[in-house]
Amino acid sequence: MKNKILLIAAFSMLIYSGCKLEDNPTNAVTTASLATTADGLTNAVNGAYALFKDHEVFEGTTDANNMYLRQYFQMSDFASDDVVCSQVTTDPLWLSFTLAHVPTQENASYFWYISYKIISDANTVIEAGSKISNPTPAQQQLIGECYFLRAFCTFNLARFFAEPYTINPNAPGVILRTSTTDPAVKARASVKDTYTQVIADAVKASQLMTDGASRGVTFATKEAAEALLSRVSLYEGDYQSAITYSNAVINSGRFTEATAADYKTLFANAQADKETIFCIAFDALDDYGKEGSIASQYYTNGNSGWGEEFASQPLRDLYAQNPSDVRTSYIDDDVDSTGTQQYKNGIPIYYITKFSFQGGSPSLSSPIMFRLSEMYLNRAEAEANLNQTTAALTDVDFIRSNRGLSGALYNGTVPAGQTALDVVLQERRLELAFEADRTFTVYRNKQNMDRTYWGYHILGLQAADINLSVAPANYPNLIVPYTSTKIIYYIPEAEILSNSAATQNP
Amino acid sequence: MFNLKKLLLFLFLIISCCNLYAQGRVLKGKITIAKDGTPLPGALIVIKGTTNGTAAGPDGLFSLSIPNGPVTIEVRSIGFFSKDVIINVDQNKINVALDEDNKQLSEVVVTGYSTQKKGNLTSAITVVSAEKLKDVTSDDIGEMLQGKVAGLQVVNSSGAPGSQSEIRLRGVSSVNAAQAPLIVVDGIIGGDYDPNDVESVTVLKDAGATAIYGSQANGGVIIITTKKAKGDKTQYEFKAVTGFRTPDFGSMTMMNSSELYQNQKQLFRDYIPGTTGNSYVIDLVQFQSERPASILNNNTNWLTTLFKPAPVENYYFSAMGKTTKNDYYFGATFYDEGGTFMNTDYKRINLRSNNTYHFTDKITLTNNINISGSEGKSYDYNDIYYAYLNLPWDNPYDANHNPIYVDGNSKFQWWSRDKTNPVNTIDNSDHPFKTFDINYDLALNLPITSWLTFNTTNRGSASYGYSSTFYSPEVQGTYHGSGYLNDQSTYNYGGISTNLMKFDFKLGKSAINGLAGVEFEGSQTNTVGASGQGLPLGLESLDVVSTKQAINGAPDSPSILSYLSQVNYSYDERYFLSGSYRVDGSSAFAPGNKYGSFPSVSAGWLASNEDFLKDNHTIDNLKLRLSYGITGTQDIGAARYLGLYSLTSQYNSATSATPLQLESPNLTWESKHQLDAGFDIGLFHRINITVDAYHNVTKNLLLQVAQPLSVGFESKWENSGEVLNNGLEFAISSQNIKNKDFQWTTDFNISFNNNKLQDFPSTVVSTGEDAVSQIYRTGGNLYEFYMPTWAGVNAQTGAPQWLVVNKDANGKVTSTSVTSNYASATLQEQGSALPKFQGGFNNEFKYKKFFLRINTYFEYGNKVYNANLAQVENDGSEPLLNQIVLPKGSSVWTHPGDIATEPSPENNANSTSVSTRYLKNGSYLSLRNIAFGYSLPKTFAQKLKLSDINLSLSADNVYTFTRYLGQDPATTITPGNFVTPGVADFKYPDNRQFLLNINVKF
Repeated sequence: MKNKILLIAAFSMLIYSGCKLEDNPTNAVTTASLATTADGLTNAVNGAYALFKDHEVFEGTTDANNMYLRQYFQMSDFASDDVVCSQVTTDPLWLSFTLAHVPTQENASYFWYISYKIISDANTVIEAGSKISNPTPAQQQLIGECYFLRAFCTFNLARFFAEPYTINPNAPGVILRTSTTDPAVKARASVKDTYTQVIADAVKASQLMTDGASRGVTFATKEAAEALLSRVSLYEGDYQSAITYSNAVINSGRFTEATAADYKTLFANAQADKETIFCIAFDALDDYGKEGSIASQYYTNGNSGWGEEFASQPLRDLYAQNPSDVRTSYIDDDVDSTGTQQYKNGIPIYYITKFSFQGGSPSLSSPIMFRLSEMYLNRAEAEANLNQTTAALTDVDFIRSNRGLSGALYNGTVPAGQTALDVVLQERRLELAFEADRTFTVYRNKQNMDRTYWGYHILGLQAADINLSVAPANYPNLIVPYTSTKIIYYIPEAEILSNSAATQNP
Repeated sequence: MFNLKKLLLFLFLIISCCNLYAQGRVLKGKITIAKDGTPLPGALIVIKGTTNGTAAGPDGLFSLSIPNGPVTIEVRSIGFFSKDVIINVDQNKINVALDEDNKQLSEVVVTGYSTQKKGNLTSAITVVSAEKLKDVTSDDIGEMLQGKVAGLQVVNSSGAPGSQSEIRLRGVSSVNAAQAPLIVVDGIIGGDYDPNDVESVTVLKDAGATAIYGSQANGGVIIITTKKAKGDKTQYEFKAVTGFRTPDFGSMTMMNSSELYQNQKQLFRDYIPGTTGNSYVIDLVQFQSERPASILNNNTNWLTTLFKPAPVENYYFSAMGKTTKNDYYFGATFYDEGGTFMNTDYKRINLRSNNTYHFTDKITLTNNINISGSEGKSYDYNDIYYAYLNLPWDNPYDANHNPIYVDGNSKFQWWSRDKTNPVNTIDNSDHPFKTFDINYDLALNLPITSWLTFNTTNRGSASYGYSSTFYSPEVQGTYHGSGYLNDQSTYNYGGISTNLMKFDFKLGKSAINGLAGVEFEGSQTNTVGASGQGLPLGLESLDVVSTKQAINGAPDSPSILSYLSQVNYSYDERYFLSGSYRVDGSSAFAPGNKYGSFPSVSAGWLASNEDFLKDNHTIDNLKLRLSYGITGTQDIGAARYLGLYSLTSQYNSATSATPLQLESPNLTWESKHQLDAGFDIGLFHRINITVDAYHNVTKNLLLQVAQPLSVGFESKWENSGEVLNNGLEFAISSQNIKNKDFQWTTDFNISFNNNKLQDFPSTVVSTGEDAVSQIYRTGGNLYEFYMPTWAGVNAQTGAPQWLVVNKDANGKVTSTSVTSNYASATLQEQGSALPKFQGGFNNEFKYKKFFLRINTYFEYGNKVYNANLAQVENDGSEPLLNQIVLPKGSSVWTHPGDIATEPSPENNANSTSVSTRYLKNGSYLSLRNIAFGYSLPKTFAQKLKLSDINLSLSADNVYTFTRYLGQDPATTITPGNFVTPGVADFKYPDNRQFLLNINVKF
């Protein structure tokens, strides 16, 4: 009897019922569900912004050095004459200083990858949105933000990976991704076609988004799209459009130029400052500190960062012409208690603080992508190019009068030996230093980059060789001509290998 | 038990241990083989109860002095049953015939879901007994298996307390799916155990043996069998191992204060490349002003400051026995491993109870329970990094021997590049972890008829893991002032139930056995974690974090449902045929693709049982084997087939969804088609040789197929590409010398593996940490390094040089040249991180009661990229990092015409960029273990009421012979976060161990 019971129990165990064999993700949703759930689209659009600040997995690793914005600033400003390198490093940021680019360079590869991830996210939302009949203004705003994000990211890709429009509009631009069902293998469009797509997207964005549905300056807005159009038009040499779009933003009445007093806190307070048109929100949880914050490259309070990249000597010399210029407040000279200048590997330490002090944290800021000053400077540059000298100088003076330089205005007079464009570009350098502008401005104006100052962009430099009382001489590549192939980055090797239609930069 | 008096007595006995027998008589005779009467040379003839004896000569004849009076002699020889013979008072001549013992062939081997007689095996299986395992002292069975199984590669890439080795069987056969072998404990997949409780380890190597495990067996199967009661008598065993360990820094010798001082003069040479008027002399005035001689006042050895010898202890107690109804085994282990690195350690307690209750002869119920708990302290990578890189010119301690605080604001001179004192950081941080694990196994064996048995085995398991990272507000760095605490917990419940009908019957000369049944395996894992900052000084709990609070956590519940069957047929103990078939359904795949089937067939011919070999004296065993089968992989994580958006991020304090994964609805099993041919041969009853050749093709790889990055995804999971592994394994086990007093046995194994990638959708260059690239292409190898070739130093300029290879349209090399422009150097394939061959060579010598054992392990032909060298051999590009003492023959370039190995610090552009300069030959031969021991005479042990006392001294990882430059060459081959296979980074060094072992049985 006992055996029989056991036997029955045994056989019943041979049969399994209710085996679902399902293991669905618990911290992710299916792509298809984004269009069908209430918050799906909002979440997906927010995700696109998050990609600017998150450390995404790349090449199997979550590396704190990999962040869209960290690389956005290092790939542009470290290649300029505004930032000096005080430390040879294995971080690929060093290659941005030396311009010894390689196709497997991680900062450029990650930047390329995340740009397209944002574009893919935007495309997913745009496609889902196109299926909504009678979208609400809020839904139109979300879709408009995605057009903006696609335009913004495509334009930034073109800035880093394609020749400037003004140098060769027919050169290869970037790969235009406007649909999630695109074939994976796709060729680069020309620079010209790239700009056409960017402008079309930005125009569409400015039409879809309305001030009423705006989600604030930490998201794209109608004015952010117009600000982008102002910038793109300037890069394209379409000066009339640049003026038109700058005017649209300036006259929108939504922004106010920071005064000399406010300016010192503009960058720590970007989300609330009236000058900000569009910034990427970082909150306390996004304070990456020493490992991976943008600020950690430029500044340290002793513990908050590496503090290895400083304001360059020529930039400091330029500010020094007007000691009352409040913009020098973002350069922090490191001296000890006796007033002795501190050095790192022979380079004087002048920290840059444009990415610090949000909420008091030395490693936190919400980096500004567009602000009102640039609109004035874009307009001024366009005006200078259109020989509207007085208008150009007026715009420059408007900036200067808000930067503590009321006593040093041009008042309609171009200084001897300079052109109006020289004046505008110098002001642009002073105003937008460390904001990913300088390199592009120099090269699109067909100027050469003069980096004749001591720093570890000079290959093989030893601290013992540095003599700060004279300029470095006899080192190669101190001046980078705009004709150099090194003014842009290689298309990432990973793209070339898996996309047979993509061509490499020379 | 061990009082002083007894110890003294014991020592006395050791000294006076000699043969004090009264004069007697001489016994002569001949030893023969019973079957045919031929002489049996080498047979031992021993007076029972003594060590007195002799060995038979080549003709089987012997002569032995025996005491007067009746005496019993024992005659024994390997491969024969021993025989006791009573010699009468007046007897002086005797002939003894021994019967052959085919124990080897009748020995029972644990295989997948069943047991087989060794002689009946048709597939490639290696059994390692506890005896052969216990030489190395570790908490990790992998370390113990190293060098003992042909085809098994074991990499101990870390010496951190409690770390696990990486095990690879017959090469690496997958790219993105998991590669570790499946561990089976007491017949049930998965499970926890302590190495001290292990009776034997069976390694299943070919598909003939592993296909029964289907989709979980791609990496091979290791079956752990724990101890069971052996005899009626209650047996107790106590083992104590105690000793210490020291870190093995390999050839990573860092400079001392004056070496670095001298080295840095090179940075002050008057030389600007490309200009004239260089004097090439060192500007000593500038040097002395910037490197004052006072820095020599400090000579800190950071390595010996942070790494110290640490104690190791392992205690084990067991009791086992049998009654008519019940078999029981109890084992308890306490393992305590100090870490050589400051503030690291690992402790583990393991309790096991194995009980089998016999309702009747045939109906048995087995209850096994294993409980383990561990705790320890881990470390932060950066602290080890600074142990190597901080300069000897800095002193970590102040005058009162307190670790000093340094940060970027410290105004006193701190020479090291990063303003960090790791000793202070360790003082202000903590990385504790804990685990708890319980397994309960329930098995019932229920005969239904004489040939049919129902068998159910079930395991319930629960585990808990906890790890924490703590920084006090007083620590230097990111968390200075705020502190940081991050606690992570993992809870897991698992269950597995296997229900089989087993049959076994004989028909004439044929015998058939087999099984059929069903298995369900499922688990639920929950991770929960939280972190925060703003900790009050002195407190270390989540309750008191006040800022940046973050939480994380997710559940996961994978499951597998399987149907399995196996049939083994044998005819006349000569011909054997086996087949198995398993169907697995996995939760990892989409509905419609969940199920995969895994068949195998294998055959064996025991030629030595054929008439023509039956009486052969040379060959006592000859078995030919052939197997073919398919195993699979499904272990790639959940829901890889879905298009997904991750919700783990946030933007502007709102939920955000970021693109995670491209949809791949047709994703299904990766399958490994395995063909194996092998033979086992036994010679002279003292040599056993096993040879296997295999041809394994992994098809439909679960591959993360590279996408153009412009799609917005790096890769997409697809079934694509193939990995081919061809290999040859050779193992020999030999009794070289065997006589009464002296025995010498040798085990040697070597395995060759050749790996190729096939049908890859596109070439992928994977660039990981430190910018090191590996290339995946059709026709290439796995983990193939892809980088420029280092071409030394330009004698005229002192600049580094790399090779430029010019090829024509057909890819034929037309010319080569060198360049000092790194960007124009040619990327080339430079060898793989996987070895071409590896193996072990183990010897044991026994002389009377003494033994000496020497075990070695070797790997050959693998490349290791030592990423450390870019920092510690950096040609002055980062002058404030300590440098390695370079091997003899190295020199820094000093002037035009100088033939040097190291570039000029003044002309070092890109010299530390990735190239073969730092790609080293990773081949090595490691002296894994040397042990010297002594068994106390039984008579003495019995006086202490013990049955056996063994003492031994052993040393693990005694020395590694290698040409590798860096820490020891054992380098991880598992890809991961910040890890590229074969790329060495500053690691927790492996350990040398010096141990005293005491083993007592009673």
